[in-house]
Amino acid sequence: MPKHDTPLLDELESGPWPSFVTDIKRQAETKPECWDILGQLELSFKERITHWKHGGIVGVFGYGGGIVGRYSDVPKQFPGVAHFHTVRLNQPSSKFYSSAKLRDICNLWEKYGSGMTNMHGSTGDLVLLGTTTPNLEPLFYELTHDLKQDLGGSGSNLRTPACCLGKARCEWSCYDTQALCHHLTMHYQDEIHRPAFPYKFKFKMSGCPNDCVAAIARSDFAVIGTWRDDIRIDQAAVKGYINGDFPATGGAHAGKDWGAFNINKEVIQLCPTGCMSMAGDELKIDNAECTRCMHCINAMPRALRPGVDQGASILVGAKAPILDGAQFATLTIPFLEVNQENDFEEVIEQIEKIWDWWMEVGKNRERVGETIQRVGLPTFLSVMEVDIVPQHVKEPRSNPYVFWQSEEVEGGFDRDVREFRKRHAQ
Amino acid sequence: MALSVDELKAAIMDKAMTAKKPQLYIKDFYACDPDTKPRAIKNVANDLVKEGKMTFWSSGSTTMYAAVGRAKDEETRDAAEDSK
Ligand code: HEM
Ligand code: HEM
Ligand code: SF4
Ligand code: SF4
Repeated sequence: MPKHDTPLLDELESGPWPSFVTDIKRQAETKPECWDILGQLELSFKERITHWKHGGIVGVFGYGGGIVGRYSDVPKQFPGVAHFHTVRLNQPSSKFYSSAKLRDICNLWEKYGSGMTNMHGSTGDLVLLGTTTPNLEPLFYELTHDLKQDLGGSGSNLRTPACCLGKARCEWSCYDTQALCHHLTMHYQDEIHRPAFPYKFKFKMSGCPNDCVAAIARSDFAVIGTWRDDIRIDQAAVKGYINGDFPATGGAHAGKDWGAFNINKEVIQLCPTGCMSMAGDELKIDNAECTRCMHCINAMPRALRPGVDQGASILVGAKAPILDGAQFATLTIPFLEVNQENDFEEVIEQIEKIWDWWMEVGKNRERVGETIQRVGLPTFLSVMEVDIVPQHVKEPRSNPYVFWQSEEVEGGFDRDVREFRKRHAQ
Repeated sequence: MALSVDELKAAIMDKAMTAKKPQLYIKDFYACDPDTKPRAIKNVANDLVKEGKMTFWSSGSTTMYAAVGRAKDEETRDAAEDSK
């Protein structure tokens, strides 16, 4: 396959930052089909329209996800990308793997694909970019038999679950994110590998409210670690920070001189709920008002730690901006036990409550967050059997109507119509 | 009364063969038996794919179902274009 002239793309190599154009050119030296990626993209830049077709019937036997069919709409001009399917591999929990495993995956992909990867995709998968239909089955065979790796989710499937580093490396993790991620992945193999829903569904798990996997922004079902007792305070270490014995924020952002640490300015006044104060040289926290934002803990990690009565908050319904803008997940269950001993029974119960409802009520191509918006939060909360509290109210009402549910009205909405008609003419 | 698995399979295939559009969402099959839970209907539809009677079509973000032969894959479509 010949090189193409790509004056527009070449511009993208002129900056001081790494360039995907340079990377693809380098790859094209051994994989000449990569020239056609550049050729087709240059054409798209010129014509201001994509030349990728959308979707298709591709997959490996027994699976209904993990491979996304991509075809060029100008295959004669760019035969190297006539088929250019994407393969998603389920990443290990927290993305821990040996360099030997990464080498094996790259070698396999040099053999059966373009050699180009995207590590990692937004869902967490290792994304292998560009192969042809006949290569799919042999690739899948070697992947599963020799590398013992599996495909991830795509389409209307449960997407590959993802988690933060959790207890493997992080002292703040309030539950074992890797254990939950692995358990849900194994428990829901059918939902990951075959379509199951009106649209995609994503689980993400963070060990604490710092939410390093951005579960709140990216998942339909976010499990975010939290605690329900008090923040643990080591008053001696608080004094240490005030005296400048320890660098604030674990020494992060140390490249600049920020001056002496000022607990008032940098912690107490930044607490979003204003629930911190000093009583003499003792730090006080009114834990009933604390929203578990993590700021004070991040600023003084030696002095403050999450409480010991740990579990997770469940938030439902985040999505990207395709329809009606992006949306964060809504806090649905403030505290849930995350218990490995009983195979995470409490978490699974919540998941299935949502699925049973959403599969029935959700429209085609409607994320659960959109379904909640459409039917209203009160309806969703009643499905989840959650009592409504003032914190669920986002803004003062602008709609004067009050909708009663049948069970909220004495005698319900059933009535004897004949009896009613005696008093009210038709 | 809910349909038996075989009756449900027949109803789903009938719908897949006779619907105006060749590609259907899973929800389109719920009406095949209002007494069966959506999750059970999904399992039966997925079994039909395993049996080679239906096929998945996916955009990457959504997946649809089609009776084998009714939805054309890109490769046969391209071949048909070429022979025109
Ligand atoms: C071009 C057609 C119509 C116009 C311009 C119109 C205009 C209006 C206006 C200006 C009001 C007062 C709104 C307010 O108090 O803020 C009103 C009230 C009302 N209209 Fe109409 N209307 C129309 C058709 C209809 C029809 C077809 C119906 C019933 C089938 C209807 C039923 C009512 C009722 C029940 C109210 C009282 C609302 C209340 O008390 O809050 N209107 N309409
Ligand atoms: C099926 C029958 C009826 C329907 C669907 C209907 C519907 C409505 C609606 C939607 C309103 C506006 C309510 C609001 O904005 O708060 C309204 C207001 C009203 N309706 Fe009816 N209505 C019906 C029968 C009647 C009858 C039989 C009467 C009188 C005998 C009546 C008298 C009124 C009055 C006086 C208002 C204005 C109340 C107010 O200004 O606060 N309606 N109706
Ligand atoms: S989300 Fe919390 S527990 Fe997980 S890695 Fe980040 S800071 Fe640690
Ligand atoms: S975690 Fe956040 S809300 Fe709670 S005391 Fe610390 S700064 Fe305040």
